[in-house]
Amino acid sequence: MSKTLKGITLKGSAELVAEFFSFGINSILYQRGIYPAETFTRVTQYDMSLQLTTDAKLKNYLTNVISQLKEWLFDCTVQKLVVVITCLETNEVLERWQFDLECDKTAKEGSAPREKSIKAIQEEIRSVIRQITATVTFLPLLETACAFDLLIYTDKDLEVPEQWEESGPQLIDQSEEVRLRSFTTTIHKVNSMVAYKRTNST
Amino acid sequence: MDDMEDTTIFSTLKSFKSLISGPDHSLLETEPAYGRSDLQKLYTKRVELEEAAERVRSHTSLLQLTQEKQQMELSHKRARIELEKEAHSSSRDLQREIDRNRELLLKIRRLEEREEKANQALNEQMENNKALKRNLEELHKKANVKDSKLTEADQMISELKDETRRLNQKIQIQESKFSTQNLEIQALQEQLDVQRKKYQDVSQRYQNLQSSHSISTESELKMKELERRLALQEQDSVIVKNMKSEMVRLPELEREIKRLREENCFLRETKENNSLLKEETEGLRKKLERVERVMEEKLKAELEKEKLEQELQAWENIGQAAGLNIRKPEDLSREVIQIQQRELNLKQQNYTLNSRWTESLLNFTSWKTGVLELKLVLLYVGQERDGMRAILESYDSELATSEYSPQLMFRVKEAEDMLQKVQAHNTEMETQLSKAQEEAGSFKLQVQMMTAELEALKEQHVSNAEKNTLATAEEVSSLRQKIEELEAERQRLEEQNNILEMRLERHNLQGDYDPVKTKVIHLQMNPTSIAKQQHAEEVEQLRLECQLLRDRIRKIEAGGGVTKDDTTLIIPPSQEILDLRKQMESAELKNQRLKEVFQKKIQEFRTACYVLTGYQIDITVENQYRLTSVYAEHMEDSLLFKSTGPVGSGSMQLLETDFSRTLTGLVDLHLFHQKSIPVFLSAVTIELFSRQTVT
Repeated sequence: MSKTLKGITLKGSAELVAEFFSFGINSILYQRGIYPAETFTRVTQYDMSLQLTTDAKLKNYLTNVISQLKEWLFDCTVQKLVVVITCLETNEVLERWQFDLECDKTAKEGSAPREKSIKAIQEEIRSVIRQITATVTFLPLLETACAFDLLIYTDKDLEVPEQWEESGPQLIDQSEEVRLRSFTTTIHKVNSMVAYKRTNST
Repeated sequence: MDDMEDTTIFSTLKSFKSLISGPDHSLLETEPAYGRSDLQKLYTKRVELEEAAERVRSHTSLLQLTQEKQQMELSHKRARIELEKEAHSSSRDLQREIDRNRELLLKIRRLEEREEKANQALNEQMENNKALKRNLEELHKKANVKDSKLTEADQMISELKDETRRLNQKIQIQESKFSTQNLEIQALQEQLDVQRKKYQDVSQRYQNLQSSHSISTESELKMKELERRLALQEQDSVIVKNMKSEMVRLPELEREIKRLREENCFLRETKENNSLLKEETEGLRKKLERVERVMEEKLKAELEKEKLEQELQAWENIGQAAGLNIRKPEDLSREVIQIQQRELNLKQQNYTLNSRWTESLLNFTSWKTGVLELKLVLLYVGQERDGMRAILESYDSELATSEYSPQLMFRVKEAEDMLQKVQAHNTEMETQLSKAQEEAGSFKLQVQMMTAELEALKEQHVSNAEKNTLATAEEVSSLRQKIEELEAERQRLEEQNNILEMRLERHNLQGDYDPVKTKVIHLQMNPTSIAKQQHAEEVEQLRLECQLLRDRIRKIEAGGGVTKDDTTLIIPPSQEILDLRKQMESAELKNQRLKEVFQKKIQEFRTACYVLTGYQIDITVENQYRLTSVYAEHMEDSLLFKSTGPVGSGSMQLLETDFSRTLTGLVDLHLFHQKSIPVFLSAVTIELFSRQTVT
């Protein structure tokens, strides 16, 4: 609803960001081969073709996390979202896709919508997702079987819901970091970066 | 030893020679016609001997093989007979069993009416049946064993037959080869003779050819040489002609040469002269230039000199005009200094005069004002005087009639007093003026002194100021050092700040967080944990499988080691295993089929024997045969025969049984006296039949 109107409200911004995360995480899973490519189907979003998973369990998990994230985005209590890729055999963290969130707390529910066109935001999101696809060229190959996890950095005083638990930050030992593009809806700003384990040859 | 062998070989050779027909003799006789050497003869003899030996060897091998074949046939026949006997006996046993079965069935039918006995009999019959079945199985097993032996014997027979066939074929082939080879040898020998003749002719021709060829080559060489010489001679003649023409030109050339040499010398000299002249001209040019420059400079210097002289003269004139005693510049400078000093003095005087002038002006103005005042006073006085005069006149006019003189005198006195007072006032004024002038002069002096003091003070102040600047310079330098230090510290702190900010940024990129303000959460049922669980389960399953497989392998290895006698256990590849398995299955199928066939046959045979002879023959123990009659009254009534002597001989002996004790008469009659087992058996049958029919 808020998208069709001119301007971005807090709710609309939260929805946009959650949508971006949903597609972004799917892209990452597809590009890095965490799940086999045949379990993905092509969809069109942001004027480009993206891959979306058809695995029911995975879909369920992602919808759970994204819906909870949307609430927290609305409350401006979430600081980061991290996609952690772990090697199953050695239990080592191989990659970390980190998305920093900066929320403008002055934009509360009743305040006037901000002037920024949906197109511009979508353009920015498109460039971010394109960049995520491009990073695959320099990231080291994931040769072993891997699994992923979604971590959310929130304010300390946030009430943790039932199915959630606290965990460690799951940092990479000896990592290389690359900062990617960011996009902003004027209420939420999303900075992207990827950290990967330094391979022995480099 | 060799001689012995040779003699035997020669003997065999002679025998074979007798067999071989005349052409060989003729060949041998005609051989020396060609003039062969002894070696050739020996060689041919040796070849023939070797062939004979080969023939002998083949014969002997043939004989051996025929012998072996006969032996094999014999053994084969024996095996066959034994197996047939065994087959017969087993068939007879089978028949007996079948007859027994029938009798038992009849008895069952008879005893059905009596329930208790019938059941007992039935049970007995069942037990008997089981026993019979067991016996049947044993017989089957034995039959299988015999069957396998039979098959093996058959295989051996077939193999031996094949071998004999092969050997026969080989012998035939060898014989044929031998004959063909002999024929070939003859043909080749004839060809060889023909070829030798040809070779001789050809060699002669070849020699002739070679000699002619060599002659031709020699002649060719000679021709080439002559041609070459001719060419050279032609060249020489051409050269000679050229040389002659050149020789004609020679004196002219000599003359030219002389001329040219003279020219050369001349030119060289001129060249040297030229170079010298050039150098001289250059030197002169340079000199000219220098001289011109010098001339210019000289003109300039002269002009300057004139100017300076003029100036000097002017200076000197100045001195003369000024009237000063000037001869040297020092005097001039001294004069100038003096003039400057005078000037200074004059300035000072001028200054003082100016100051005095201003003072005097001030005094003048003050005097003027005083004068004006005095004038005013004067005017007033004048006016008073006038008034007084008027009064006096009036008084005088009045007093014309009366006494003026005391009033006039009184007024005159008053006027004189007034005058005196005015005079006194004037003198006071003048004194005041002079005092003022003195005061002004004193003030001037004071001013001058003050200005001098001021100048002195200024100088002092300047010096003080210098001292002050020194002190302030020290302060300033110290302050500047402090500033520099602070600046350096600031820069250092800025760098540290930058580094810390970078570190913080890096940590932020890596995912660090402030535990006070943030916390990290995730879903409990997340894909990583699920995947880890699955992975662990898979690993466990694989481990269990591995263990099971290892145990299996150990068992197989252990089981394989027991059945085989090999100490080294080599696991054959899977292909072989499959082939072997197939072979095994096919062999098993064959076995089964053979077993079935044998069973059927043996059953038939045994039933036939039982029916025809009236006895069921069972093999209880090896070489022991139990005969049970059709007409036996009890089940246990049986005759035991044991085969004695070698296998297949057929000699049997009767063993003592309960039943045989009842037949002692028959035993004595038929076995001891008549020594015929078939008669005995038929007598027993008749006896039992008679017994049966009676009862």
